[in-house]
Amino acid sequence: MEKTIDYIKKKRTVSEEVKEKRKEFARIKKLILKTLETEPKTIPQIAKETQLPSDVVTFNLMTLRKYGEVIAGDIDDMDEYFFYKLK
Amino acid sequence: MPEQKSGYDVLVIGGGIAGEEAALNLANIGYKVILVEKDISIGGKMIHLSKVFPTLDCAACITTPKVSETARHPNISIFTNSEVKDIEKNSEKNFTATLVEKPRYVTEDCTGCQICEEKCPVVVNDQYQWDLVGRKAVYIPFSIANPRIAVIDIENCILCGLCEKVCPANAIDFTQEEKQTEIKIKSIIIATGYDLFDPELMPRYGFGKYKNVVTSMQMERQLVPTRPYNAVLRPKDGKMPDNIAYVLCTGSRDETIGNPICSQVCCMYSVKQAQLLMGALPMADVTIYYIHVRAFGKGFCEFYQQSKGMGVEFIKGKVGTIKENENGNLVVRYEDIEEGKVKEAEHDLVVLSVGILANTDFTTMFKNIKIGQDNFNYVKQTDELTNPAKTTIEGVFVAGTASGPMDIPDSILSAGAASAETASYLRRTNNEK
Repeated sequence: MEKTIDYIKKKRTVSEEVKEKRKEFARIKKLILKTLETEPKTIPQIAKETQLPSDVVTFNLMTLRKYGEVIAGDIDDMDEYFFYKLK
Repeated sequence: MPEQKSGYDVLVIGGGIAGEEAALNLANIGYKVILVEKDISIGGKMIHLSKVFPTLDCAACITTPKVSETARHPNISIFTNSEVKDIEKNSEKNFTATLVEKPRYVTEDCTGCQICEEKCPVVVNDQYQWDLVGRKAVYIPFSIANPRIAVIDIENCILCGLCEKVCPANAIDFTQEEKQTEIKIKSIIIATGYDLFDPELMPRYGFGKYKNVVTSMQMERQLVPTRPYNAVLRPKDGKMPDNIAYVLCTGSRDETIGNPICSQVCCMYSVKQAQLLMGALPMADVTIYYIHVRAFGKGFCEFYQQSKGMGVEFIKGKVGTIKENENGNLVVRYEDIEEGKVKEAEHDLVVLSVGILANTDFTTMFKNIKIGQDNFNYVKQTDELTNPAKTTIEGVFVAGTASGPMDIPDSILSAGAASAETASYLRRTNNEK
């Protein structure tokens, strides 16, 4: 069956900015998931290991959690930061 | 030539709590109502709230049945993702308007399974979580959305076609186009609601620059069961906060930003959030910086006293600036009004209690007539004391916060008044007995 995506592709072009955003998310996602392969980590630990700003880690990690790729674990001994792990 | 639709009595513009209430009241006494909502779900802002003050009842539990009742009512036709333009008054009880339906690129065959959302590779800020987390380019806005049909954010779509490939209901349709329909109605209710103040207009508070300065709506989302994070956390580093400050009157009662009036809800929603935070974070300190606490409604003062009893600290102080420390904590510099001194205090999260502003969308909807605005840009009420829903146009009425700041019960009362005045107008002009 013919897909309607072919119809809109003839009418619209995707901006470079949108393409870049997708690549950026894919890059950050890969970094975060890779860092969690070894053991559960807190956001500051992930930020340190990936060299990403901690707010960028929070946003993207929480997005991965929302879509079920990451789950929250226990909180640290100081009751400050949660550990996150792969699902 | 746009399609034409007639046979409706009332056009209700806005599908928030006031629009729904007005539509239901009129539909229940037999009038045919067309309800137009510019967002992709009805429910307005209330559907996104945690609890209501002062009863702490669940907001979604109150609004969801009303949303469902509106959606199922045989006398109400709902158009979401749609706008109204070119309203013309032709004669008494005779208006025409153009309804502009934007494409969702998803048909009503959508079952809401969200498989498309899972597969979509694009992530952008989720406006329904106030940018605290991401969403996909194809998405269902929130779990209790009505209609629960996905939508494609075409501006951020990379046209990969994955959604269409995986949709089990074959509901993706990229051939959809914007559709314009001319509608004929006898009367109109404006229930377009309010806008929230954008705190980036007050750079001294650091919103946007300091990630641990959040708005009250962002905190509201952190307090609902469908929260963006797994707990109440700081957006900068995911730390669980233990010393939270509220800055009241951010964007209200302030001539310098063009909004001199009180927003009427900020004191009480901040008191509510403070109580909920003390439940969610029992070890946390919560401080509220205020000019005056306006606890004027039924049970409000008791609610305010209850929060004091729970340990919320109230400081009569006007906040001047907020600066960030290296550890992400925030230094609040304020004038202690009672002591007449300038002081500083450190907090690890600051919530700006943002005010309510007029949503001025209504000003551009009319074509051959002009609707009046009051001094604060809301819909002008020409007879506020005896006919509060009356506007400058006979047959056009106003409901809820389109006429000024008010809380949820007052919005519902206002919608009741608007529907009663609309019914009276229709009966009068129809010569009904």
